[in-house]
Amino acid sequence: MSGALALPLPQPRRQVWSIGGGKGGIGKSLLAASLGWYLARLGKRVVLVDADLGGANLHTCLGVPGPARTLGDFIQRRVARIEDVVVDTPFPRLQLISGASDVLGAANIKYQQKVRVLNRVRALDVDVVLLDLGAGTSNNILDFFLVADVSLLAVVPEPTSIENGYRFIKSALYRRLRMAAPTAAVREVIDGALDLKNSGGIRSPLELLAAVERQDPGAVAALRRELAEFHPRFVVNQVRSPADIAVGHQLVTACARHLGIRASYAGAVHYDDAVWRAVRQRRLFAAQDPDSPAAQEVRQIARGLVEGESMALVW
Amino acid sequence: MSPPVETHYGVLGLGPRASFEQIERAYRHAAGLYEGDALATYSLLDDEERQAARARVEEAYAILKDPLRRFEYDRQLGLDSETAPSYAPPAAAASPATARAAAVALPEPVTGADLKRFRESRGIALREIATASKVGVRYFEYIEADRRDVLPAPVYLRGFLQEYARVVGLDPRRTAESYLARLATAR
Repeated sequence: MSGALALPLPQPRRQVWSIGGGKGGIGKSLLAASLGWYLARLGKRVVLVDADLGGANLHTCLGVPGPARTLGDFIQRRVARIEDVVVDTPFPRLQLISGASDVLGAANIKYQQKVRVLNRVRALDVDVVLLDLGAGTSNNILDFFLVADVSLLAVVPEPTSIENGYRFIKSALYRRLRMAAPTAAVREVIDGALDLKNSGGIRSPLELLAAVERQDPGAVAALRRELAEFHPRFVVNQVRSPADIAVGHQLVTACARHLGIRASYAGAVHYDDAVWRAVRQRRLFAAQDPDSPAAQEVRQIARGLVEGESMALVW
Repeated sequence: MSPPVETHYGVLGLGPRASFEQIERAYRHAAGLYEGDALATYSLLDDEERQAARARVEEAYAILKDPLRRFEYDRQLGLDSETAPSYAPPAAAASPATARAAAVALPEPVTGADLKRFRESRGIALREIATASKVGVRYFEYIEADRRDVLPAPVYLRGFLQEYARVVGLDPRRTAESYLARLATAR
Protein backbone atom coordinates (compact mmCIF):
# COMPACT_ATOMS: atom_id res chain seq x y z
CA MET A 1 0.00 0.00 0.00
CA SER A 2 1.84 3.10 -1.14
CA GLY A 3 0.55 6.57 -0.37
CA ALA A 4 2.07 8.01 -3.51
CA LEU A 5 -0.20 5.91 -5.68
CA ALA A 6 -3.22 8.03 -4.83
CA LEU A 7 -1.64 11.05 -6.53
CA PRO A 8 -2.49 11.83 -10.15
CA LEU A 9 1.05 11.21 -11.35
CA PRO A 10 2.02 9.43 -14.56
CA GLN A 11 1.15 5.79 -14.03
CA PRO A 12 4.02 3.63 -12.87
CA ARG A 13 5.10 0.98 -15.31
CA ARG A 14 4.08 -1.84 -13.06
CA GLN A 15 0.70 -1.93 -11.41
CA VAL A 16 -1.19 -4.32 -9.21
CA TRP A 17 -4.95 -4.48 -9.71
CA SER A 18 -7.24 -6.53 -7.52
CA ILE A 19 -10.84 -7.60 -7.87
CA GLY A 20 -12.75 -8.43 -4.72
CA GLY A 21 -16.42 -8.70 -4.01
CA GLY A 22 -17.16 -10.40 -0.75
CA LYS A 23 -19.64 -12.74 -2.36
CA GLY A 24 -19.09 -15.74 -4.61
CA GLY A 25 -20.88 -16.35 -7.88
CA ILE A 26 -21.02 -12.75 -9.06
CA GLY A 27 -18.72 -13.20 -12.04
CA LYS A 28 -15.55 -11.92 -10.42
CA SER A 29 -13.23 -14.42 -12.08
CA LEU A 30 -14.78 -13.81 -15.49
CA LEU A 31 -14.34 -10.08 -15.02
CA ALA A 32 -10.73 -10.60 -13.99
CA ALA A 33 -10.02 -12.88 -16.94
CA SER A 34 -11.63 -10.59 -19.50
CA LEU A 35 -10.09 -7.41 -18.04
CA GLY A 36 -6.72 -9.14 -18.21
CA TRP A 37 -7.40 -10.17 -21.79
CA TYR A 38 -8.20 -6.57 -22.81
CA LEU A 39 -5.20 -5.17 -21.03
CA ALA A 40 -3.06 -7.64 -22.97
CA ARG A 41 -4.79 -6.56 -26.18
CA LEU A 42 -3.92 -2.96 -25.31
CA GLY A 43 -0.28 -4.05 -25.39
CA LYS A 44 0.27 -4.55 -21.66
CA ARG A 45 2.11 -7.57 -20.36
CA VAL A 46 -0.30 -9.06 -17.86
CA VAL A 47 -0.18 -11.79 -15.26
CA LEU A 48 -3.50 -12.92 -13.87
CA VAL A 49 -3.16 -14.32 -10.37
CA ASP A 50 -5.84 -16.61 -9.10
CA ALA A 51 -5.74 -15.55 -5.46
CA ASP A 52 -8.95 -17.42 -4.74
CA LEU A 53 -6.91 -19.89 -2.75
CA GLY A 54 -9.82 -22.06 -1.78
CA GLY A 55 -11.79 -22.17 -5.02
CA ALA A 56 -9.42 -21.47 -7.87
CA ASN A 57 -11.01 -21.57 -11.32
CA LEU A 58 -9.48 -18.74 -13.28
CA HIS A 59 -7.77 -21.22 -15.62
CA THR A 60 -11.19 -22.56 -16.65
CA CYS A 61 -12.39 -19.03 -17.47
CA LEU A 62 -9.41 -18.74 -19.82
CA GLY A 63 -9.87 -22.15 -21.39
CA VAL A 64 -6.59 -23.36 -19.93
CA PRO A 65 -6.37 -26.89 -18.44
CA GLY A 66 -5.55 -26.96 -14.73
CA PRO A 67 -1.83 -26.09 -14.72
CA ALA A 68 0.64 -28.54 -13.20
CA ARG A 69 2.21 -25.76 -11.15
CA THR A 70 0.16 -23.41 -9.00
CA LEU A 71 0.56 -20.67 -6.45
CA GLY A 72 0.38 -23.44 -3.85
CA ASP A 73 3.70 -24.83 -5.08
CA PHE A 74 5.29 -21.46 -4.46
CA ILE A 75 3.63 -21.04 -1.07
CA GLN A 76 4.76 -24.54 -0.03
CA ARG A 77 8.25 -23.83 -1.44
CA ARG A 78 8.11 -26.75 -3.86
CA VAL A 79 9.45 -24.24 -6.39
CA ALA A 80 11.93 -21.51 -5.58
CA ARG A 81 10.71 -18.57 -7.62
CA ILE A 82 7.24 -17.21 -8.31
CA GLU A 83 8.20 -17.06 -11.99
CA ASP A 84 8.27 -20.87 -11.90
CA VAL A 85 4.50 -21.02 -11.46
CA VAL A 86 3.67 -18.51 -14.21
CA VAL A 87 2.16 -20.30 -17.20
CA ASP A 88 1.29 -19.05 -20.67
CA THR A 89 -2.30 -18.79 -21.92
CA PRO A 90 -3.47 -19.04 -25.54
CA PHE A 91 -3.42 -15.24 -25.62
CA PRO A 92 -0.35 -13.12 -26.37
CA ARG A 93 1.07 -11.17 -23.42
CA LEU A 94 -1.41 -12.77 -21.02
CA GLN A 95 -0.03 -15.18 -18.45
CA LEU A 96 -1.54 -16.92 -15.48
CA ILE A 97 -0.63 -17.96 -11.98
CA SER A 98 -3.18 -20.56 -11.12
CA GLY A 99 -4.74 -20.84 -7.69
CA ALA A 100 -3.82 -23.28 -5.03
CA SER A 101 -6.89 -25.45 -4.90
CA ASP A 102 -4.66 -28.47 -4.31
CA VAL A 103 -3.28 -27.18 -1.03
CA LEU A 104 -5.43 -28.11 1.89
CA GLY A 105 -5.99 -25.02 3.98
CA ALA A 106 -4.20 -22.77 1.51
CA ALA A 107 -6.84 -20.15 2.12
CA ASN A 108 -5.39 -19.84 5.59
CA ILE A 109 -1.77 -19.30 4.65
CA LYS A 110 0.45 -17.91 7.35
CA TYR A 111 1.32 -14.24 7.59
CA GLN A 112 4.93 -14.72 6.52
CA GLN A 113 3.89 -16.75 3.50
CA LYS A 114 1.42 -14.09 2.51
CA VAL A 115 3.99 -11.30 2.77
CA ARG A 116 6.34 -13.37 0.62
CA VAL A 117 3.64 -13.91 -2.02
CA LEU A 118 2.67 -10.23 -2.05
CA ASN A 119 6.26 -9.06 -2.38
CA ARG A 120 7.10 -11.48 -5.16
CA VAL A 121 3.89 -10.76 -7.04
CA ARG A 122 4.64 -7.07 -6.94
CA ALA A 123 8.14 -7.70 -8.26
CA LEU A 124 7.01 -9.69 -11.32
CA ASP A 125 8.44 -8.20 -14.50
CA VAL A 126 5.15 -7.30 -16.22
CA ASP A 127 2.99 -4.21 -16.69
CA VAL A 128 -0.07 -5.28 -14.75
CA VAL A 129 -0.60 -7.96 -12.14
CA LEU A 130 -4.30 -8.67 -11.82
CA LEU A 131 -5.37 -10.44 -8.62
CA ASP A 132 -8.64 -12.33 -8.64
CA LEU A 133 -9.66 -12.57 -4.98
CA GLY A 134 -11.80 -15.19 -3.36
CA ALA A 135 -15.13 -14.65 -1.67
CA GLY A 136 -15.39 -13.53 1.92
CA THR A 137 -13.58 -10.99 4.06
CA SER A 138 -10.73 -12.99 5.55
CA ASN A 139 -7.60 -11.03 6.37
CA ASN A 140 -5.69 -12.68 3.55
CA ILE A 141 -8.21 -11.53 1.00
CA LEU A 142 -8.34 -8.03 2.45
CA ASP A 143 -4.56 -7.75 2.37
CA PHE A 144 -4.43 -8.75 -1.29
CA PHE A 145 -7.13 -6.13 -1.94
CA LEU A 146 -5.29 -3.42 -0.02
CA VAL A 147 -1.91 -4.05 -1.61
CA ALA A 148 -3.28 -3.13 -5.03
CA ASP A 149 -2.88 0.18 -6.83
CA VAL A 150 -6.32 -0.27 -8.37
CA SER A 151 -8.83 -1.99 -6.08
CA LEU A 152 -11.98 -3.08 -7.87
CA LEU A 153 -15.07 -4.21 -6.06
CA ALA A 154 -17.49 -6.30 -8.06
CA VAL A 155 -21.14 -6.40 -7.10
CA VAL A 156 -24.34 -7.51 -8.80
CA PRO A 157 -27.52 -5.46 -8.36
CA GLU A 158 -28.97 -7.73 -5.68
CA PRO A 159 -29.41 -7.06 -1.96
CA THR A 160 -27.12 -9.87 -0.80
CA SER A 161 -24.27 -8.82 -3.05
CA ILE A 162 -24.55 -5.14 -2.12
CA GLU A 163 -24.67 -6.00 1.56
CA ASN A 164 -21.55 -8.16 1.23
CA GLY A 165 -19.92 -5.43 -0.84
CA TYR A 166 -20.36 -2.91 1.96
CA ARG A 167 -19.11 -5.41 4.49
CA PHE A 168 -16.07 -6.00 2.30
CA ILE A 169 -15.35 -2.28 1.94
CA LYS A 170 -15.71 -1.60 5.65
CA SER A 171 -13.59 -4.62 6.58
CA ALA A 172 -10.86 -3.61 4.14
CA LEU A 173 -10.85 -0.03 5.35
CA TYR A 174 -10.82 -0.99 9.03
CA ARG A 175 -7.92 -3.33 8.37
CA ARG A 176 -6.06 -0.51 6.67
CA LEU A 177 -6.82 1.86 9.55
CA ARG A 178 -5.75 -0.76 12.05
CA MET A 179 -2.37 -1.13 10.35
CA ALA A 180 -1.94 2.65 10.54
CA ALA A 181 -3.11 2.90 14.15
CA PRO A 182 -0.34 4.55 16.20
CA THR A 183 -1.25 3.04 19.57
CA ALA A 184 -2.69 -0.13 21.04
CA ALA A 185 -5.61 1.84 22.46
CA VAL A 186 -6.58 3.09 18.99
CA ARG A 187 -6.26 -0.44 17.61
CA GLU A 188 -8.65 -1.54 20.32
CA VAL A 189 -11.24 1.03 19.25
CA ILE A 190 -10.94 -0.19 15.66
CA ASP A 191 -11.22 -3.83 16.70
CA GLY A 192 -14.36 -2.91 18.61
CA ALA A 193 -15.85 -1.28 15.53
CA LEU A 194 -15.12 -4.38 13.44
CA ASP A 195 -17.57 -6.28 15.55
CA LEU A 196 -20.74 -5.18 13.79
CA LYS A 197 -22.76 -5.41 16.99
CA ASN A 198 -20.17 -3.45 18.94
CA SER A 199 -21.17 -1.93 22.24
CA GLY A 200 -19.80 1.48 21.29
CA GLY A 201 -22.46 1.73 18.60
CA ILE A 202 -19.86 2.52 15.92
CA ARG A 203 -21.55 1.87 12.60
CA SER A 204 -19.46 3.72 10.08
CA PRO A 205 -15.87 4.84 9.49
CA LEU A 206 -16.94 8.42 10.24
CA GLU A 207 -18.24 7.37 13.64
CA LEU A 208 -15.07 5.36 14.19
CA LEU A 209 -12.91 8.42 13.54
CA ALA A 210 -15.06 10.42 15.95
CA ALA A 211 -14.56 7.71 18.59
CA VAL A 212 -10.80 7.68 18.01
CA GLU A 213 -10.73 11.45 18.27
CA ARG A 214 -12.43 11.29 21.68
CA GLN A 215 -9.91 8.68 22.81
CA ASP A 216 -6.74 10.15 21.34
CA PRO A 217 -7.09 13.43 19.39
CA GLY A 218 -3.49 13.20 18.19
CA ALA A 219 -4.05 9.84 16.49
CA VAL A 220 -6.93 10.79 14.26
CA ALA A 221 -4.93 12.67 11.61
CA ALA A 222 -3.09 9.53 10.52
CA LEU A 223 -6.37 7.65 10.23
CA ARG A 224 -7.97 10.47 8.26
CA ARG A 225 -5.10 10.27 5.77
CA GLU A 226 -5.68 6.55 5.35
CA LEU A 227 -9.39 7.12 4.84
CA ALA A 228 -8.69 9.79 2.22
CA GLU A 229 -6.39 7.45 0.31
CA PHE A 230 -8.75 4.51 0.36
CA HIS A 231 -10.33 4.46 -3.06
CA PRO A 232 -12.33 1.39 -4.07
CA ARG A 233 -13.86 1.28 -7.55
CA PHE A 234 -17.19 -0.39 -8.14
CA VAL A 235 -17.98 -2.62 -11.07
CA VAL A 236 -21.67 -3.49 -11.27
CA ASN A 237 -21.95 -6.82 -13.04
CA GLN A 238 -24.97 -8.53 -14.62
CA VAL A 239 -27.08 -5.38 -14.95
CA ARG A 240 -30.38 -5.68 -16.80
CA SER A 241 -31.83 -2.18 -16.71
CA PRO A 242 -30.88 1.49 -16.50
CA ALA A 243 -31.91 1.37 -12.84
CA ASP A 244 -29.32 -1.38 -12.30
CA ILE A 245 -26.66 0.77 -13.93
CA ALA A 246 -27.63 3.67 -11.66
CA VAL A 247 -26.94 1.46 -8.63
CA GLY A 248 -23.23 2.11 -9.19
CA HIS A 249 -23.74 5.86 -8.92
CA GLN A 250 -25.87 5.38 -5.83
CA LEU A 251 -23.19 3.24 -4.19
CA VAL A 252 -20.62 5.96 -4.79
CA THR A 253 -22.90 8.62 -3.28
CA ALA A 254 -23.84 6.41 -0.33
CA CYS A 255 -20.16 5.65 0.37
CA ALA A 256 -19.31 9.34 0.35
CA ARG A 257 -22.25 10.51 2.45
CA HIS A 258 -22.60 7.74 4.97
CA LEU A 259 -19.18 6.12 5.18
CA GLY A 260 -16.88 9.01 4.28
CA ILE A 261 -15.29 6.78 1.62
CA ARG A 262 -14.26 8.24 -1.72
CA ALA A 263 -15.28 5.44 -4.06
CA SER A 264 -15.74 5.64 -7.81
CA TYR A 265 -17.67 3.80 -10.49
CA ALA A 266 -15.53 1.94 -13.00
CA GLY A 267 -18.54 0.78 -15.01
CA ALA A 268 -21.37 -1.67 -15.47
CA VAL A 269 -21.51 -4.92 -17.44
CA HIS A 270 -24.80 -6.19 -18.81
CA TYR A 271 -26.12 -9.64 -18.16
CA ASP A 272 -25.33 -11.33 -21.44
CA ASP A 273 -26.11 -14.79 -22.77
CA ALA A 274 -22.84 -14.70 -24.70
CA VAL A 275 -21.05 -14.98 -21.35
CA TRP A 276 -22.60 -18.22 -20.20
CA ARG A 277 -22.43 -19.69 -23.70
CA ALA A 278 -18.69 -19.11 -23.63
CA VAL A 279 -18.36 -20.39 -20.06
CA ARG A 280 -20.03 -23.66 -20.98
CA GLN A 281 -17.53 -24.10 -23.78
CA ARG A 282 -14.74 -23.16 -21.37
CA ARG A 283 -13.85 -20.22 -23.54
CA LEU A 284 -13.25 -16.62 -22.57
CA PHE A 285 -16.33 -14.67 -23.68
CA ALA A 286 -14.37 -11.51 -24.41
CA ALA A 287 -12.23 -13.43 -26.92
CA GLN A 288 -15.04 -15.66 -28.17
CA ASP A 289 -17.56 -12.91 -28.80
CA PRO A 290 -15.81 -9.53 -28.65
CA ASP A 291 -18.80 -7.68 -30.11
CA SER A 292 -21.19 -8.86 -27.41
CA PRO A 293 -22.44 -6.05 -25.15
CA ALA A 294 -20.74 -7.48 -22.07
CA ALA A 295 -17.41 -7.80 -23.87
CA GLN A 296 -17.62 -4.21 -25.10
CA GLU A 297 -18.46 -2.96 -21.65
CA VAL A 298 -15.53 -4.81 -20.10
CA ARG A 299 -13.34 -3.27 -22.78
CA GLN A 300 -14.58 0.20 -21.83
CA ILE A 301 -13.88 -0.49 -18.17
CA ALA A 302 -10.35 -1.69 -18.95
CA ARG A 303 -9.65 1.37 -21.07
CA GLY A 304 -11.22 3.69 -18.54
CA LEU A 305 -9.05 2.28 -15.76
CA VAL A 306 -5.90 2.54 -17.86
CA GLU A 307 -6.74 6.14 -18.77
CA GLY A 308 -7.88 7.06 -15.27
CA GLU A 309 -11.50 7.65 -16.27
CA SER A 310 -14.56 6.71 -14.28
CA MET A 311 -18.30 7.10 -14.63
CA ALA A 312 -18.49 10.42 -12.82
CA LEU A 313 -21.94 11.75 -12.13
CA VAL A 314 -21.95 15.36 -13.33
CA TRP A 315 -25.25 17.12 -13.00
CA MET B 1 -23.83 10.95 9.34
CA SER B 2 -24.01 14.32 7.67
CA PRO B 3 -21.93 17.08 9.19
CA PRO B 4 -24.28 19.56 10.88
CA VAL B 5 -23.15 22.58 8.86
CA GLU B 6 -23.73 21.03 5.45
CA THR B 7 -25.49 23.38 3.04
CA HIS B 8 -28.51 22.44 0.98
CA TYR B 9 -26.20 22.39 -2.01
CA GLY B 10 -23.86 19.98 -0.28
CA VAL B 11 -26.73 17.67 0.61
CA LEU B 12 -27.61 17.32 -3.05
CA GLY B 13 -23.99 17.20 -4.19
CA LEU B 14 -24.35 20.47 -6.09
CA GLY B 15 -22.34 23.65 -6.49
CA PRO B 16 -23.94 26.99 -5.61
CA ARG B 17 -24.39 27.88 -9.27
CA ALA B 18 -26.49 24.82 -10.04
CA SER B 19 -29.21 25.34 -12.61
CA PHE B 20 -32.82 24.40 -12.02
CA GLU B 21 -32.37 21.29 -14.16
CA GLN B 22 -29.27 20.26 -12.25
CA ILE B 23 -31.16 20.59 -9.00
CA GLU B 24 -33.95 18.39 -10.36
CA ARG B 25 -31.53 15.68 -11.45
CA ALA B 26 -29.51 15.76 -8.25
CA TYR B 27 -32.73 15.58 -6.25
CA ARG B 28 -33.97 12.55 -8.16
CA HIS B 29 -30.67 10.78 -7.60
CA ALA B 30 -30.64 11.60 -3.87
CA ALA B 31 -34.32 10.79 -3.36
CA GLY B 32 -33.87 7.46 -5.14
CA LEU B 33 -31.03 6.65 -2.79
CA TYR B 34 -33.36 6.76 0.23
CA GLU B 35 -36.40 4.98 -1.11
CA GLY B 36 -37.48 2.07 1.05
CA ASP B 37 -36.05 -0.65 -1.17
CA ALA B 38 -33.05 1.20 -2.61
CA LEU B 39 -30.26 -1.34 -3.06
CA ALA B 40 -27.50 1.09 -2.18
CA THR B 41 -28.83 1.98 1.27
CA TYR B 42 -31.08 -0.78 2.51
CA SER B 43 -28.25 -2.66 4.24
CA LEU B 44 -26.35 0.50 5.11
CA LEU B 45 -28.95 2.52 7.00
CA ASP B 46 -31.71 1.57 9.39
CA ASP B 47 -35.20 2.98 8.91
CA GLU B 48 -34.62 5.92 11.19
CA GLU B 49 -31.38 6.90 9.47
CA ARG B 50 -32.92 6.51 6.08
CA GLN B 51 -35.88 8.69 6.97
CA ALA B 52 -33.60 11.33 8.44
CA ALA B 53 -31.45 11.35 5.32
CA ARG B 54 -34.51 11.51 3.11
CA ALA B 55 -35.96 14.39 5.15
CA ARG B 56 -32.69 16.29 4.79
CA VAL B 57 -32.82 15.83 1.01
CA GLU B 58 -36.44 17.00 0.88
CA GLU B 59 -35.62 20.03 2.98
CA ALA B 60 -32.76 20.98 0.67
CA TYR B 61 -34.86 20.46 -2.42
CA ALA B 62 -37.81 22.45 -1.07
CA ILE B 63 -35.58 25.49 -0.66
CA LEU B 64 -33.49 25.17 -3.81
CA LYS B 65 -36.34 24.50 -6.22
CA ASP B 66 -38.20 27.61 -5.09
CA PRO B 67 -36.58 30.68 -6.71
CA LEU B 68 -37.59 33.07 -3.91
CA ARG B 69 -36.59 30.80 -1.05
CA ARG B 70 -33.34 29.95 -2.81
CA PHE B 71 -32.57 33.62 -3.33
CA GLU B 72 -33.13 34.27 0.36
CA TYR B 73 -31.05 31.21 1.32
CA ASP B 74 -28.16 32.28 -0.93
CA ARG B 75 -28.25 35.68 0.74
CA GLN B 76 -27.99 34.02 4.16
CA LEU B 77 -25.02 32.00 2.92
CA GLY B 78 -23.43 35.22 1.71
CA LEU B 79 -23.30 34.10 -1.91
CA ASP B 80 -22.64 37.17 -3.98
CA SER B 81 -25.22 38.09 -6.55
CA GLU B 82 -22.62 38.38 -9.32
CA THR B 83 -22.01 34.65 -9.27
CA ALA B 84 -25.59 33.75 -8.50
CA PRO B 85 -27.37 31.52 -10.97
CA SER B 86 -30.43 32.25 -12.99
CA TYR B 87 -33.31 31.19 -10.83
CA ALA B 88 -35.81 30.75 -13.60
CA PRO B 89 -36.87 27.15 -14.23
CA PRO B 90 -36.51 25.98 -17.84
CA ALA B 91 -39.53 24.99 -19.88
CA ALA B 92 -38.43 21.41 -20.54
CA ALA B 93 -38.49 18.69 -17.89
CA ALA B 94 -35.22 17.18 -16.75
CA SER B 95 -34.09 13.97 -18.40
CA PRO B 96 -32.53 10.86 -16.79
CA ALA B 97 -29.90 11.05 -14.11
CA THR B 98 -26.90 10.57 -16.34
CA ALA B 99 -27.97 13.28 -18.80
CA ARG B 100 -26.39 16.67 -18.46
CA ALA B 101 -27.56 20.22 -17.94
CA ALA B 102 -27.69 23.43 -19.97
CA ALA B 103 -27.93 22.87 -23.71
CA VAL B 104 -25.23 25.05 -25.23
CA ALA B 105 -24.10 25.24 -28.85
CA LEU B 106 -20.51 25.00 -30.10
CA PRO B 107 -19.12 27.39 -32.74
CA GLU B 108 -19.97 26.15 -36.20
CA PRO B 109 -19.12 24.09 -38.09
CA VAL B 110 -18.87 21.46 -35.37
CA THR B 111 -16.09 18.90 -35.84
CA GLY B 112 -15.53 15.57 -34.13
CA ALA B 113 -12.55 17.05 -32.34
CA ASP B 114 -14.72 19.90 -31.00
CA LEU B 115 -17.19 17.40 -29.66
CA LYS B 116 -14.47 15.34 -28.03
CA ARG B 117 -12.91 18.40 -26.36
CA PHE B 118 -16.28 19.53 -25.05
CA ARG B 119 -17.16 16.07 -23.77
CA GLU B 120 -13.84 15.71 -22.00
CA SER B 121 -14.21 19.14 -20.44
CA ARG B 122 -17.42 17.86 -18.89
CA GLY B 123 -15.71 14.74 -17.56
CA ILE B 124 -18.04 12.42 -19.44
CA ALA B 125 -16.86 9.05 -20.72
CA LEU B 126 -17.96 7.83 -24.15
CA ARG B 127 -19.36 4.72 -22.59
CA GLU B 128 -21.73 6.85 -20.52
CA ILE B 129 -23.19 8.19 -23.74
CA ALA B 130 -23.36 4.67 -25.10
CA THR B 131 -25.07 3.46 -21.94
CA ALA B 132 -27.58 6.31 -21.90
CA SER B 133 -28.39 6.04 -25.59
CA LYS B 134 -28.05 2.28 -26.10
CA VAL B 135 -25.90 3.05 -29.15
CA GLY B 136 -22.61 1.16 -29.55
CA VAL B 137 -19.70 3.16 -28.23
CA ARG B 138 -17.75 2.75 -31.46
CA TYR B 139 -20.19 4.95 -33.33
CA PHE B 140 -19.39 7.79 -30.96
CA GLU B 141 -15.71 7.07 -31.46
CA TYR B 142 -16.22 7.36 -35.22
CA ILE B 143 -18.12 10.63 -34.76
CA GLU B 144 -15.34 12.14 -32.68
CA ALA B 145 -12.70 10.91 -35.11
CA ASP B 146 -14.68 12.15 -38.15
CA ARG B 147 -14.40 8.70 -39.65
CA ARG B 148 -16.45 9.37 -42.81
CA ASP B 149 -15.51 5.95 -44.15
CA VAL B 150 -17.39 4.14 -41.41
CA LEU B 151 -20.00 6.62 -40.20
CA PRO B 152 -23.56 5.41 -40.71
CA ALA B 153 -26.02 6.96 -43.15
CA PRO B 154 -27.16 10.50 -42.21
CA VAL B 155 -30.59 9.29 -41.20
CA TYR B 156 -29.01 7.23 -38.39
CA LEU B 157 -26.11 9.57 -37.78
CA ARG B 158 -28.49 12.42 -36.97
CA GLY B 159 -30.03 10.39 -34.16
CA PHE B 160 -26.62 9.37 -32.79
CA LEU B 161 -25.41 12.97 -32.86
CA GLN B 162 -28.52 14.14 -31.05
CA GLU B 163 -28.08 11.47 -28.37
CA TYR B 164 -24.45 12.44 -27.97
CA ALA B 165 -25.31 16.12 -27.71
CA ARG B 166 -28.12 15.48 -25.26
CA VAL B 167 -25.91 13.54 -22.86
CA VAL B 168 -22.97 15.93 -22.92
CA GLY B 169 -25.26 18.96 -22.60
CA LEU B 170 -25.10 20.44 -26.10
CA ASP B 171 -28.10 21.60 -28.11
CA PRO B 172 -29.06 18.33 -29.87
CA ARG B 173 -30.68 19.82 -32.99
CA ARG B 174 -28.05 22.46 -33.71
CA THR B 175 -25.18 20.09 -33.03
CA ALA B 176 -26.51 17.42 -35.38
CA GLU B 177 -27.31 19.90 -38.14
CA SER B 178 -23.94 21.60 -37.98
CA TYR B 179 -22.03 18.32 -37.99
CA LEU B 180 -24.09 16.86 -40.85
CA ALA B 181 -23.87 20.05 -42.93
CA ARG B 182 -20.09 19.99 -42.62
CA LEU B 183 -19.96 16.36 -43.74
CA ALA B 184 -22.26 17.10 -46.70
CA THR B 185 -20.17 20.04 -48.00
CA ALA B 186 -16.93 18.14 -47.58
CA ARG B 187 -18.11 15.31 -49.74
